[in-house]
Amino acid sequence: MKQKKINIATILISVILLGLCIWSILKFPVKLGLDLKGGTQVILKATQIEKETQDQEGSDTGVTSEAVDKARLIILNRIDKLGISEPLVTKDYSNNIVVQLPGVDDPQRAVEVIGKTAQLEFRIVEGVDENGNPKLGPVLLTGDKLTNAKAGYDNNGQVIVQFSFNAEGAKIFEKITSENIGRQLAIVLDGEIKSAPVIRSKISSEGVIEGIGSLEEAKDIALVLQTGALPVNLEIQEVRTIGPTLGQDSLRESLLAGAIGFILIAIFMFVLYRGLGLISILGLICYVIYFWGILSILKTPLTLPGIAGVILTLGIAVDANVLIFTRIKEEMLKGKTKIVSFREGFKNALKAIIDSNVTTLITAAALYRFGTGPVRGFAFTLGIGILMSMFTAIVFVRSILFLMVDTKVMSPKFIGVKLSTKELIKEK
Amino acid sequence: MAKAKKIPKKTSKKASKKLTLEKKVTPEGKVISEGKIAPEKSYKFDFMGKRKIWFIISSIIILTGVVFYFVRGFNFGIDFLGGNLMEIQFKEEVNISELRKVMEKTGYGNSILQSTAPDQYIIRTVPIDSSQKATILDSLDKEFGIYRPLIQDREVAPGFSRQIIRYALIAVAISIAAILIYVWIRFEVRFAIAAILELVHDILIVLSLYLITFREFNSTTVAVLLTILGYSLSDGIVIFDRVREEVRLDKRSKFSDIVNYSINKTLTRTMSTSATTLFPVIALLILGSQTLQDFAFGLFVGVISGSYSSIFIGSPLLVIFNNKFPKYKK
Repeated sequence: MKQKKINIATILISVILLGLCIWSILKFPVKLGLDLKGGTQVILKATQIEKETQDQEGSDTGVTSEAVDKARLIILNRIDKLGISEPLVTKDYSNNIVVQLPGVDDPQRAVEVIGKTAQLEFRIVEGVDENGNPKLGPVLLTGDKLTNAKAGYDNNGQVIVQFSFNAEGAKIFEKITSENIGRQLAIVLDGEIKSAPVIRSKISSEGVIEGIGSLEEAKDIALVLQTGALPVNLEIQEVRTIGPTLGQDSLRESLLAGAIGFILIAIFMFVLYRGLGLISILGLICYVIYFWGILSILKTPLTLPGIAGVILTLGIAVDANVLIFTRIKEEMLKGKTKIVSFREGFKNALKAIIDSNVTTLITAAALYRFGTGPVRGFAFTLGIGILMSMFTAIVFVRSILFLMVDTKVMSPKFIGVKLSTKELIKEK
Repeated sequence: MAKAKKIPKKTSKKASKKLTLEKKVTPEGKVISEGKIAPEKSYKFDFMGKRKIWFIISSIIILTGVVFYFVRGFNFGIDFLGGNLMEIQFKEEVNISELRKVMEKTGYGNSILQSTAPDQYIIRTVPIDSSQKATILDSLDKEFGIYRPLIQDREVAPGFSRQIIRYALIAVAISIAAILIYVWIRFEVRFAIAAILELVHDILIVLSLYLITFREFNSTTVAVLLTILGYSLSDGIVIFDRVREEVRLDKRSKFSDIVNYSINKTLTRTMSTSATTLFPVIALLILGSQTLQDFAFGLFVGVISGSYSSIFIGSPLLVIFNNKFPKYKK
């Protein structure tokens, strides 16, 4: 009797959770990843600025995690200023910055703006070397002391970027210009001398950058100057743009494959396990809802590899049921009563279910921890899938079965076992 | 409770034979599949006796893979080699030789061209910068007319894969170590070693099939291999679980008989689970687009190899270990 109450309570809780999941799915539809809705993904590797010997190996670049975090925020700010909605800028395990931009018309420009270090430097020209290149003095002032920058034209109609210093910057700039009248002041952006005007008089708060190709470029420079210089150099590792049609096709194909797989599994389970099979199909439907619900609650975007993970876990989800059902049938054929068979069957199957799922879970965890991009999405859905499938099989389906075990519905025919007449009598 | 259970189990083999007989005379004998599962030991396939054959079959596949590795190597994708991949939809149907000619004019005649539809091509080039890309796209646009934005456009820096491989290897090492420890704790060290060898076997088989079929090897493949690492073991664990249970209950039988018996008992489950996992994977393989097919192919091979190896590799290894270092009845 007490058992029965516990089972009813478990089912009730499961159903409430099910309702919560459905509510969440309706309220917050699962977000689609870039590969399903189209967009651009850029992976950038951070390397140290002004370090001549560049180290190719991933994390040994001497870039601190804080610097990468700062760069991440600056990139987010820049993307915001470009007017791209819903960007996602994340850092992966190997300190790479992953930028995801849904539906951008001009990915090329976005990539250029994002990756620009925007290191603005002011240095005095100290002469010319034998090749005719100017020799520059030490860096006297950098772009981090700017307050504003905007693109425009000068009096001769040339494209320029105007900028103004903050109070501290203005003081330094005033000092530099007053001490170096008659000399050339080089304005260097990302290692390139943009202009080197001769200082004619003391200037304090404002300046211009010349030598810019187009107004478009000037706007980009103004944008990156406003958002500040990146504390690291960024090397583009991968740029991936998926057109919207490809994403839709992939989504449709994978959902179709999932549906067909589901139907085949359902038929298979019914043929093999009859009534129990029906219950496992019910369990499978619940599993899919739980799974979807968790994705929507955690707001994890669903990616293509993620879908592959879901589809794989459909198989894993019924596996627990298969293990339990075969054990139940086995016990019944040994001539045990229904209730004993169910108890023994569950108990015997439980160890195998846990052990086999834990090994898969271990790998999913390792994949999630060390994976990048698609691998992570896959690992995440695999992990969630395993946990949810264990929950549905061990908790939900179990309670239903035990509640039904005493009823007439649970006949040997329902279970799919043919008992000899002798046992049938015992059953009655 | 435990004692009561022991009695029917110890004599279960004999009892089951009786049951089989009873079953056969049952009047409502239109037994379908369930009849096969029912009687114990009726499925008596001798898996252990022919273990050499299974080892030879696996060795042949893996050796073929090794030969292909030296002859042709892997068909690495751009995430491993670096480069540029564009999938372009043209405004008209384009012949591959026409396309090749235009590409030659732009100086990228040695690019890999692959048709995905009569008016759709994947073009793979060496790493190029944005102006070179613009040149290619403009000349294609002038010649055939192309739709923008492109269906897909990828650019990978050479050497990027070093990171992927590095972290994949870390993931592999950690999962293998963790699985080894877990199986060791839950079972015994010999089970853990058999499990790991079974895993290595599955990975080698999948790699061999990638080599033999010359399917593209990319970062998706890495993910698939890692998944197989986790998933393919589950069949093996279920059999081991049964062996663990049977050796505790049955002290009289030979160990190889117990293993054989355990495999037979779990056979329906192994087959059912492989089938239910394979249904959606096969659907993906048939219906899916390129990326999904890549996933599905690896999983397909991995799932089959996982079930195969749990019966034909992992379990015989247990028997071999027991012959070398007897712990259970030889």
